[in-house]
Amino acid sequence: MKPIIEFQDYSYFYPKEEEAAIKNISVTINQGEFVGIIGRNKAGKSTACLSMIGIAPHTIGGDWIGNVIVNGILLDESTVGTITNHVGVVFQDAESQFTQETVEDEIAFAMCNMGIERTEMLNRVKKVAKDCNLTDFLDRSPFQLSGGQQQRLAVACLLALKPEVVILDESTSQLDPIGRDEIFSLVSKLHQLGRTVVMVDHNIEKIAQYTSKIMVLFDGEVKLYGDTREILQQKELLNQYHIRLPQVTDAAYGLKEEKGFTTLPITLDEAVGAFSNEDKKGGDISGASYSNEKSCS
Amino acid sequence: MEPVIQTRNLVHEYKGGVRALKGVDIDIHHNDVVSIIGQNGSGKTTLVRHFNGLLKPTEGTVTVDGEDTEGKSVSFLSKKVGYAFQNPNHQFFCETVKDELLVGPKNFKFSETEAQEKLEYVVDLLEIEDILTKHPMTLDYTRKKIVSIASILTFSPKVVIMDEPTGGLDEDGRKILKNTMDLLHEQGNTVIMISHDMDFVAENTNRVIVMAEGQVLMDADCQTVFRREDVLKKAWIEPPQITQLGNAVCKDGIFLSVNDFVTHFKNRITT
Ligand SMILES: Nc1ncnc2c1ncn2[C@@H]1O[C@H](COP(=O)(O)OP(=O)(O)OP(=O)(O)O)[C@@H](O)[C@H]1O
Ligand SMILES: [Mg+2]
Repeated sequence: MKPIIEFQDYSYFYPKEEEAAIKNISVTINQGEFVGIIGRNKAGKSTACLSMIGIAPHTIGGDWIGNVIVNGILLDESTVGTITNHVGVVFQDAESQFTQETVEDEIAFAMCNMGIERTEMLNRVKKVAKDCNLTDFLDRSPFQLSGGQQQRLAVACLLALKPEVVILDESTSQLDPIGRDEIFSLVSKLHQLGRTVVMVDHNIEKIAQYTSKIMVLFDGEVKLYGDTREILQQKELLNQYHIRLPQVTDAAYGLKEEKGFTTLPITLDEAVGAFSNEDKKGGDISGASYSNEKSCS
Repeated sequence: MEPVIQTRNLVHEYKGGVRALKGVDIDIHHNDVVSIIGQNGSGKTTLVRHFNGLLKPTEGTVTVDGEDTEGKSVSFLSKKVGYAFQNPNHQFFCETVKDELLVGPKNFKFSETEAQEKLEYVVDLLEIEDILTKHPMTLDYTRKKIVSIASILTFSPKVVIMDEPTGGLDEDGRKILKNTMDLLHEQGNTVIMISHDMDFVAENTNRVIVMAEGQVLMDADCQTVFRREDVLKKAWIEPPQITQLGNAVCKDGIFLSVNDFVTHFKNRITT
């Protein structure tokens, strides 16, 4: 497996702050992985994302120790420009990134800067507008969209660039539930095509359904990093880090003894399976029996 | 009793011709705790912005405490109806969080001591002591949202409107928000919350208004609404995951929380 983002003994201090926001982390995200980053507010999730594209420290300033290696380039040798050729990120606050007069121009804007040819550009605008449900708003000002529509636009702008690594930092927080699911499923398709995806999201149900790995951050440190299913089996540990289980997993946990579960279901489909054969006494399920189901849900 | 807020045939058309509300009739009663849910762009924000006069009806009427809002200023209406913005960046204009929190009390001529008391109370409630001297615009987005709510609570409006307070909130933040809403309810306030977070809606409000395309699709209690997957689908909503599980495996009830579900199954197994 080829590492695409490597943190090596990396610590980061915001300007004028004495305490590190990220404390000595060493983790690797490999090419083609779909990683969910979870943790309470101020755990360092956004700072980790900012560091993955070099905004911290290159744009914000501040001090750092150790290294972040993106696509083989060391932090000391990179610029935000070199990194964003490969890595794209959307943050929660969509509106403050907009500069153009229409939605269409906004999507095209970043592509112009990358020298993408005109017909190709128009095709991509059409495609991502459709994927993100913005087709009806192409002539509208980005500032005259609802909050959720603005978030969709920010995601569309990123997807149009087709970055190798897609990072969405709480950029589904204002989407309606089905729209949120659509964004997860959209990036999941990119993942299936081989792209690397990193999602920071408080919606643990969607993280459970779509990601293959979970990274748990707590007070600037990486506490857990591994297979999504394995991590979600550990309720007490997650609670220590102020993270809850997906609702269906939690329900199965609460009925573990009654139902004799050895592995907890982590998606709705799995839980429906596990609970509906209850008359046959016990809905025991082994992780292996539904690891295939997951990718198609 | 007359409704605290009432709209009749409320239509709103933005400049440029977008018809965001197409005739909305709702009554919000004293001490209601209401959620407004619905797809992006369905008109939720547009609707509530009429309640404190930030937007004016194109057609129809909005009354607050029985008085037509026509011709009333935002500052006049805000005394009764506090609105925490969906985008907190649009709400702030002070240099520090503390000053931001004191804007309301100053505008409404609270005495020095009263303002100070309010400030301390709200700071404690929302646990924001550590950021009082910071510039609001330098906070992360989630903390900005909390400050935007705090700055409404410091002037104690009778009706508190929060536009997507749960977006980006972690578990701890959700507990704080839940406590705040419970407290407001106990104190006799009316609470209106817009949210896309169905777990939170199901666990914390009893009345839900569902919007789609500028209209109210349904207005009922949580149990009734989350049973209607057809209506929800039209509004781009999925019920909470536990409710979906309950609907799929158990025909005799509707479950709005993990606790409900677990208790029900335990009883069923032991009986
Ligand atoms: N300033 C504006 N000018 C023109 N149209 C607008 C403006 N603000 C919102 N709209 C449009 O009005 C409609 C209703 O928007 P509104 O913000 O009320 O939706 P919402 O239900 O709050 O959505 P969200 O869940 O995304 O916050 C949408 O179609 C939106 O694009
Ligand atoms: Mg809105």
